[in-house]
Amino acid sequence: MQGESVLPKVLAGDATRVATPPMDSDAFTGFYERSARPLWAYLARVSGDRTLADDLMQESYVRFLCAAWAETHNGEGEVAARRYLFRIATNLLRDHWRRPRQASIEELPEEFFAASANSSQADSQAELSPALALMRPRERQLLWLAHAEGYSHREIAEITGLASASIRILLFRARRKIASLLREQAARPGRKS
Amino acid sequence: MILNRCAHEAEVAQWLARGGWPAACPAELRAHVSACRSCGDLVLVTESFQRARTDAASAAQISTPSALWWRAQLRRRYAAVERIGKPLLGAHIFALLISLLVGLGLLAAHAQQCLAWLVGLKQLPQAGAVYFENIWSSALLDPIWSPMVLIPAVATLALLGGAVVYLAMDKQ
Repeated sequence: MQGESVLPKVLAGDATRVATPPMDSDAFTGFYERSARPLWAYLARVSGDRTLADDLMQESYVRFLCAAWAETHNGEGEVAARRYLFRIATNLLRDHWRRPRQASIEELPEEFFAASANSSQADSQAELSPALALMRPRERQLLWLAHAEGYSHREIAEITGLASASIRILLFRARRKIASLLREQAARPGRKS
Repeated sequence: MILNRCAHEAEVAQWLARGGWPAACPAELRAHVSACRSCGDLVLVTESFQRARTDAASAAQISTPSALWWRAQLRRRYAAVERIGKPLLGAHIFALLISLLVGLGLLAAHAQQCLAWLVGLKQLPQAGAVYFENIWSSALLDPIWSPMVLIPAVATLALLGGAVVYLAMDKQ
């Protein structure tokens, strides 16, 4: 770009900032190795699409590294970094769901997700997949964050952008719903419990 | 909606989070969970999701972090260059606007002469070649074409042309 020759000093200063990222390569490698599998599990289970999970996981990490948050919150530790990573992934999922039909995440029919969830039923999670496919995407997110990742209501609120009081009600309702589905499924003949 | 939360739920959640459920927890709590709908739901759902998490995490085929690292560095650099480019674009637009204003000002200042020249052009077919020669000679002698006017006009055109070419090259 011609601007580089016009403002060499400004660019040089910026290049210095770019060359010293908030998390160095080794630190990122460690963080990635510890967080990538849980993040992929979250994306794959909530979206029901492994290929989409691969794409969104990569995009989540790139955005995480590019984000200004990493510069200002670098000292908050890995727990906060991981929470922020899940927040990015949650936003990407929401954007993905909104894109094809231009509809709200709450308005999308359950069948839309149930159809794509069939691809992931080949693994050992046959017990959870059918029930999860009948849940709304928001419910899947909340249930996964609370029961698989063990986040508190406040942390889930931070990740999803919902109010903490809403999380409590939505989670209670979702938990009751999926528990009923799991019990029904276990009671059905020919199904393993 | 009424939340029928059980008082033991937090305790059960702690046992589940620690991984001590059901072996390490007290027998009374196990008995309570088998009778309580809310705690039963909690145990059933948490155990299912924890198993799903373990299996999904082990099934994940994650790529190497170095590719992501460099991709992020490239994106950061592009973003930085774009940030710097924004004020430059503003300067380009400002220069273009100033040039246009100067050009329009010049045109407005000599509008009468321009109109006379246009009228002359309209009458050109009727007047014939002799009349054209008269206009040409009078135009050359007219003070409008004096160097004081001609030089700023050419300079404005050059500036305008330069700005347009620069913008076009920048976009490419």
